[in-house]
Amino acid sequence: MSAGLKTVILLSFVLAVGFLLIILSCALWQNWLPLLVALIFVLAPLPNALFAHCGGDDFASYENPGTVDLGRFITSMIVVTGFALPIVLAHSGVIYTGACVMSIIGGGLVYGTILAYSAAFRQEEEFE
Amino acid sequence: MSLPPSNYDPRRVCINPFPKVDLGKHGRTVGIYVAGALFSIANWIFIDAAILSAHAKVPWGDDPPVHVTFVDWVPGICSLLGYLIICMIDKDRIRGDDTFGDSRAVWRARLVLFVGFALMAGGLAGSVTVMVLKYVLSDYAEMFKYYGYANVSQNACLMISVIVLWMAQSSTGEYEYNLTV
Repeated sequence: MSAGLKTVILLSFVLAVGFLLIILSCALWQNWLPLLVALIFVLAPLPNALFAHCGGDDFASYENPGTVDLGRFITSMIVVTGFALPIVLAHSGVIYTGACVMSIIGGGLVYGTILAYSAAFRQEEEFE
Repeated sequence: MSLPPSNYDPRRVCINPFPKVDLGKHGRTVGIYVAGALFSIANWIFIDAAILSAHAKVPWGDDPPVHVTFVDWVPGICSLLGYLIICMIDKDRIRGDDTFGDSRAVWRARLVLFVGFALMAGGLAGSVTVMVLKYVLSDYAEMFKYYGYANVSQNACLMISVIVLWMAQSSTGEYEYNLTV
């Protein structure tokens, strides 16, 4: 393990702050729709993780099969959805602008934590 | 014949081939992420307009004069169908390698590619048509013209997304001419 205990503690703090921001953005205005953002960002790395193994270890010489591309495409779609949903909700007046900003920052922190965690504690095999 | 014979392909259509796209090692990955992001942005722009239309209230108290109806959805549906068709084409067929398969397969693949791009271009043209006929030529307030702008933005983003996706997916191979249809 290259990364140590401090990284784990730091990342868990960032994750907690992210969830705190999302829950505050819901609770301050008594409108629990922004909680969907947390769900979306938690789901975001899932297609990459699933489709990366469908890439086929047996066909390592065969360059970049389409399933890996599909996983990346869906991941990118879900990430943008996580950022777009609060903006759309705020634009149509369902939630306030403050809640929109807070849930976007919180969602970005949660997703950044997931990315940083998977980058810091990468296994010996090359997961993508 | 100005070209050296090693570089000349008797089946090619254009004199100057399209430049080979070389985006580096991570170009394919980045391109696919960008394409997915553009795809999502496009659809969210239109969904935003549709939600806004469903919740629209005008400041002067009447009902809103115009809504997003099924007519506004048609260009986006055309573009999405075209997107699906273009994504389903085997890129090796378009390239024209007849080492596998027959040469008719190349012709059919190019026909399907043409249908896909025609659907996408039709969607873009249709969205401009809807914007002009339904929103710009009518005397609506600026907040209603946003529906038309959102429609055009959606279809333009879908078009850019499919082009980025195509270039990203064909950047690694040795392509001399991949869009000469």
